[in-house]
Formats: sequence, structure tokens, C-alpha cells
Amino acid sequence: MAIFSFRSFRTRLLVFLLALMLPVLLGIYVFVNRENNQYTTDTIDSYLELGADVFDFTREEHKNTLLTITSTMTRDWGFRNAFGTGDPYTIIDAADNILLRSLGAADMMLIASMTGEVIIDTKIQGFESLEGEWLELMDLAANSMDGIGDAIINVSGVPYQITVIPLFLPTPVAWIFGGFPLDNRFTDTVKQSIVSDVSIVEYVNADEQNSRVQVPEVQVIASTLSADDQMRLTDQLQLTGMTYTDTQRILLGDGEYGTLMRPLYGQQGDPLQIVAVIQKSYNENIENLEAFQRGLLQFYLVVIGLSLVVVVLLARSVTRPILDLAKRVKQIEEGDFGQTVDVAGRDEISQLASSVNHMALGLAEKEKVRDLLGKVVSHEIAEELLSKTIELGGEEKVVTVLFADIKGFTTLCESAAPEAVLTLLNRYLSAITKVIEDNHGVVDKYTGDSVMALFGAPLNRPNDAQNAVQAALEIQACMVQLNKIHREEGLGLMEAGIGVHTGLVVAGNLGSQNRLNYTVIGDSVNLGARLEGLTRKYNTANIVSGVTAQHAPEFVYRELDLVRVAGKTEPVRIFEVIGISAAMTAAQKDELADFSSALESYRAQHWEQAIEKFEKLQQALPQSEQSASLYSVYLERMTYLNKRHLPEDWDAVFVFDRK
Amino acid sequence: MGFARLLSIRLSHLRASWLLAILMLATSASAVQAAQLRISLQDAKTGLPLEDAVVEVHLPIVLQNEFSSTSEYSVDQVEKEFIDNVTVVNVGSRVFFPNSDDILHHVYSFSPAKVFELPLYGNGRSVDFSQIFEQIGIVELGCNIHDWMLGYIYVAQTTLVVKTDANGQALIEGVPEGVLSVSIWHPRSSHDSDALQHSIEFDDAQPSTLRMALSLERDNRLRRAPNVSRSRYR
Repeated sequence: MAIFSFRSFRTRLLVFLLALMLPVLLGIYVFVNRENNQYTTDTIDSYLELGADVFDFTREEHKNTLLTITSTMTRDWGFRNAFGTGDPYTIIDAADNILLRSLGAADMMLIASMTGEVIIDTKIQGFESLEGEWLELMDLAANSMDGIGDAIINVSGVPYQITVIPLFLPTPVAWIFGGFPLDNRFTDTVKQSIVSDVSIVEYVNADEQNSRVQVPEVQVIASTLSADDQMRLTDQLQLTGMTYTDTQRILLGDGEYGTLMRPLYGQQGDPLQIVAVIQKSYNENIENLEAFQRGLLQFYLVVIGLSLVVVVLLARSVTRPILDLAKRVKQIEEGDFGQTVDVAGRDEISQLASSVNHMALGLAEKEKVRDLLGKVVSHEIAEELLSKTIELGGEEKVVTVLFADIKGFTTLCESAAPEAVLTLLNRYLSAITKVIEDNHGVVDKYTGDSVMALFGAPLNRPNDAQNAVQAALEIQACMVQLNKIHREEGLGLMEAGIGVHTGLVVAGNLGSQNRLNYTVIGDSVNLGARLEGLTRKYNTANIVSGVTAQHAPEFVYRELDLVRVAGKTEPVRIFEVIGISAAMTAAQKDELADFSSALESYRAQHWEQAIEKFEKLQQALPQSEQSASLYSVYLERMTYLNKRHLPEDWDAVFVFDRK
Repeated sequence: MGFARLLSIRLSHLRASWLLAILMLATSASAVQAAQLRISLQDAKTGLPLEDAVVEVHLPIVLQNEFSSTSEYSVDQVEKEFIDNVTVVNVGSRVFFPNSDDILHHVYSFSPAKVFELPLYGNGRSVDFSQIFEQIGIVELGCNIHDWMLGYIYVAQTTLVVKTDANGQALIEGVPEGVLSVSIWHPRSSHDSDALQHSIEFDDAQPSTLRMALSLERDNRLRRAPNVSRSRYR
């Protein structure tokens, strides 16, 4: 189920890490972001509530300041004296003087008699006796314990914070009303202490059932907001159904503001209501959030970066040994077993490296064995042995067996130093082994100066017999070459005897379980060996059986004889291979024809005729070869046969009793 | 009822009692004989004896001279209070305002019956701290240094005037026979109450009595500041 294929282990590790890490980091980011958002929103909201409380407190403080001013100033002797005159112009000047002395904390003063007749009014509102809210405030103060009262009263369209306190002369003789407007100056002052925007908003309550007004007419009386933001505020401010603890979110020019209202004027159900609107921007929140997000992202980058570095290092720690191993295995594949891989640690890769080292050692060992085997036995046999399970037993197959040895080797050994003999022998064996192998033969074994070679085992070829005969001819040619060297070195000359036979043998591993040879056994092998031995009897370089000659008809043969060897009942026709017909000289052809004729005479028991023909052949030979030639063999044999009485059915088969 | 109507009462109630007195004089002009008025007042709310209430018997003008007298009075300032709190004087009398404290006082009055001011003075002899009260009426005394200090001088037309004692008791003697108007005043008395004006018949045979409980208004005087400065400066 490989949906993706990765080019390298490192990539896979990286992708895996990122796939694992990114969702986790993302999850953390989202969660923390949300919590942080919630937290900062809560914080802003609580600041806002605090701001609203401070607003109330500030208004209370301003009110108390106003009371303090009116109380203290009016008990001033100068004011008492002025009031004592009963002259309104003097009193109004004294009142204005107090307002001046208050440094703006008080903005208006109204003095009324204890029964409510207006004595002076710095705002000159025009009524002669207190009415409406003023009268209510007076009653409120009159009924209070200390004669003090306060209210917000609309003065010429501006809400005023009004306080009232009696003038003692020394008993209460008049009501002193003092006031300051809830205007921009007031909101600015409050903003400094609560660090929030403050607006004084007036509206006509739509909740009033009797009122025909359905939508509140909202008007900003004073505000720290810009004119545009004041418009936004009046557009968005929810007045119906809101309590003074509900926080609204209002979108102003530079973002969202938490908004909280505080009552200033108007009882429940009164049409006209004035509220203070306290607003705090969530921008601080957003700035916090952004700072947090930046910090978190930077942290993530560091984490991911570090992780990547770690992953790369980790991947390298894994892939580098693996690459080393791969390179090593490639070397092994190419046959270089010599190197070893460094094994450090105890992890799986180290175990693998260790195994590869062991494998290389094993392979090197095996290769060494194969090499050695190739030297000890022939390549084909080595391959045969290595390719399958080695077991005892064999198979029947038709094989051409070639035996070669050096005639008179023992004599040669006697006359030479052992080192020289060994050199000579090795040179000879190397040469003929090369010849055999060049002709697809397999050296089965060396026995002293004797070589046994197989053609057709372990592998059959279609022209095994031909190869064997060809090899026999080449060995003879090779001997000529070797003798040339020997002559130069002053060594004795060698003459090879070669026997070739083709027949059914048993091929296989022979020996014990621990030590065995691949070889062939059977009558055919024995016959091959006999034929090689017979070359001494017939003074020929080689003897090829009739079966082999039949299988390799492209060569020129001469029939030597019909023999019955020891342990055999069937006579065997034996031949000497001469060469290929194309290379035959006319003299050779004549000699072969003469020999064939002589052999016929011999078999027909025309002894004189036969002797004559053999002697003629013998005399044609060089003097040195006359005493030990094929013809001399026949001449001697006929001398022997002449003296014996031959049976009537003599078959001309010569019997060799001894091996 | 609070502060609201106090001032107007003070401005009007004395005038009303005057008219009543003149009316009575016209209807029952009887022989001048000595009679007694025994007074016993209490606080209607608490039932406790009412001290410092002033009861005055108003005489027809023709009889007033017979009961006139001027003398000298003293309203001391002891431990930043006026002693007595209520002082009854006959019109034309001189009142001294000695200062027994070791700090200065600034006594003043803006009452219509007597507007005066004794700027800061101590207990030295060189200062003239007396005033002559030539108009009947109630004079409210204050101190500009100590706002809580409040005292009253009741300037009466005749000598037929008395202030109740700690038991709320008082006695007026030598009242001529006949039906006369009697007024009651107290710093906290309710000015519009009928209980403050009485018409009483006096005769020699037996003393008349004025026994009643008055409803009082709340005490509106300023509370005295904790007495720390005194111990500090003494």
C-alpha cells in the first residue's frame, strides 16, 4: 500500500515527522490562540467593568469635590456677610467668585430660600421658584439626615451633576445648589483616570408604553470619541433590553470596542434617559494576540528547524551505514571480498553490517575453495561439484576416455635429477592439460606421468569422440615441441603413448562421505587404459578403439590389429589415428595402403607374402626406427606364429593375457 | 418637616402674635391684678421635660410700659458653646458676649431683630463685646470660627416671659387679670402649630396653668466636630 514512494529514507522520515508534528503544532496553536483570545477578551471586559466602576467613583469624587467646594466656600465669612446683606447682585457676585475659586470644579451655582424661592442663579434659567427636578432635589435634601442631596439635572440641554447643601447662618437659611456639566471636559478628565473612552449619551426611551417613539433617538452630549466614531456609536449602541452589566461590542473606526453603560439620568420608565457609555478598544487584545502569535510561530520555526536538523542527522546516521553496506555488497557482487564494513554500535544496522562481513568472509572462503577446486580438479568438475549437492553415486553415460603417459618415463627418471624430472613432468602435464582443456576435455586425474582425461563427462557434447581424437593428435604435436625444448636443455627425449576409447561408463562421485573424487569407472575406462598400454606393444604413438574411430570419422586411421585384452572376451579392433586426410602426403598414403595390404596377407596367413610386405615397409623407415616399429612387431609375431600350429578357424585376433 | 419652612416661620409668627395681643386688649380691658401662670412643657415625641422653651405673656401696649425693664445679660462662650443656649432678655437690654475660651471667637447674627458682628476677639478686657437689643424678636447667634456654635437671644417686649428649666417647668408671676395671649417658642418648635399660641384667662384667685406637650422639629444645628483641637491647643 505504498501511496507515496520516497526517494530516500531521509525524505520519508521528514515527511513522517512533519505529518506527525504539524497537526499537533496546529492544534496547539488553535487551542492556545482561542484560550488566549478568550482570556484577553475577558481581561478587556473586566478592565471595562473596572473602568465603569471607576467612572462611577470619579463622578462621585467630582460630586464630593463640588459639595466640599460649595460647603466650604459658602461658610466663608465674606460669603456669609454678602448673603447677610440680602442684596441679590452682591450675592450673585459672591457666587461667581466661588465658582472662580473652585478652579472649574464648579460651573454653576443656584441659591434658593428654604422654601424654594430662587435668590440667585448664575445660569439665569429664568424660574423664580424651584420647579421640577430642582424641587425634587430640594425635597430630597430636606428629608435627608444632613440636608445634602445630589442629582443630574438638565441645565439648558446639558446634563449637570448638581449637589445641594444648606447655607448655615448659623441655622439653615438657604439652599446652595452647585453643579458641573457632564461635558467633553468632564469626559476627558474621566478618560485620564479610567483609560477608556467615555461618552454621555441621551436617548428617549422606547420602552415606555405611552411613548410614541419606537426607535430611541440617541444623541451624544459629550464624548472623548471623534465625531465619526460618535456617529458609529449612536448607530450601533443597543439601548433596549440592555442591562448595565451587559458588554456590547461596537465597531468604531479603529476596531472593535467593548462597551458598557452606566445610568446617569432618568428613572426606570422615564422617557428621557442619559447614560454614560464606557468603551475600551480590543486593539490591545489584538496586539497581545499578534505578539503571542508571532512568538508562537517563531518558536514553531525553531522547533521545526531543530527537528529537521535532528531528522537529517538521524537519517544520515541510518542511511550512511546503509549506503556503506550497499557499496560493500556491490563490491562483493563484483567479487571483491577483501574489504570489511566498520561495525559500530549494536543496533540492527550494525548487526546487518556484521552479517555482511560474515557473508563476505564466507563467500571469500567459498571462492577460495572454488579456486582451489579448479586447480585440483578441472573447471567443469569443480562447477559440477559446486553446482549441486554432492552425493555419492553416479550416472551411466557414454564418455570418450583418453589416457596419456610418457613411454620410458622410468628410464628417464633414472638418468635425471629429481628437480629436473619434476620440472619436466610439470611442463609436460601442463602442456597436455592445456591441450585437453582446449578440446573441451576434462582431466580426471594425474597418476605419475599418466593423465586420464574425459570427454563427455560431466557434460556431454555432441562431438566428444572427435574432440578426444583431436586432443590425441595435438598431444603428439605438443610432444614434438617439448622435445625440441628438451633437446636444447640437454634432457632426454619423451615419447607419449595415448589410448582413446569411447563407451558406457558410470560417472559420479566416488570415495567416502568426507573425501571423494568425481570420476568415471567401467570396462570402457579399463579398455582405454589398455589401449594406452598397447602403444608400447605396437610402437605407435596412439591407439584409438574402433568405437571411437567410428564416432570420429573425419580423421584418417590405419587399422592396427584385432586384439583381445585381458579380462575381455570380445575382440577389439584397434586403430592408429594418423591425422586429417587433407594434410596427408602421397608417401604417407602409399605407406598406409602398403600396410593395409600387408595386414591382409597376415590375416590370410600368407606368411611369406606378408613378411615380404612388412619387411619392405620396414626398410622404408629410417634406420633408427627400424628395430622398434609397428612393422617389426608384425615380423616378430609372424616368426612366432610360423613355429606354431594355428587352428583352422584362426581369427587373427591377437590375445594379450597380461595387463 | 425639615429645614424648608423654618425661615418663613421666624419671619412671620411674631407679627401674628402681636396682632392677636392687640385684639385681646381691646375686647377685655380688666383691672390690673397679679396672677400666676404655671408652665409645664414636655417633648411630645419623647415625653421628656422640655427645657429652654420660652413662654411669653403678651400685654396690650398700654400696659407694656408698666412691665418694661432693661438690664444687662451675659452670653458666655465656654468650650466653644454659647452659655446659655437660650437667653431671654427684655427689649433695650445690653448683652455681653464674654469669651471664656483660650481661643478667639467671631460672634455674629444675621437675624432681622439684631444684625451684628463681633470680629475675632479673645478674653482680653479691652474689647467691647456687648450689644444692645432694641427690637423684639429672636436673634440667632453664630460663631464664624465654629460653625456648630448656635445660641439664641429671645428679646421680649415685657418682663412677663420665662424660660423652662431642666424639668420643663417655669412660673410667670404678676400677670394682670384678664384674658391674655400667651406664646410658646422653642428652637425646635414647629412654627405653624396652633399649640404655640394660647389665650389664657388670668385671675388672682387661682394660678393659671399651661401644661402641654410640644411636637418638635428635627435639630438642624450642625454637628460639632470631634473635640480634638481643644486638647491639642490648651
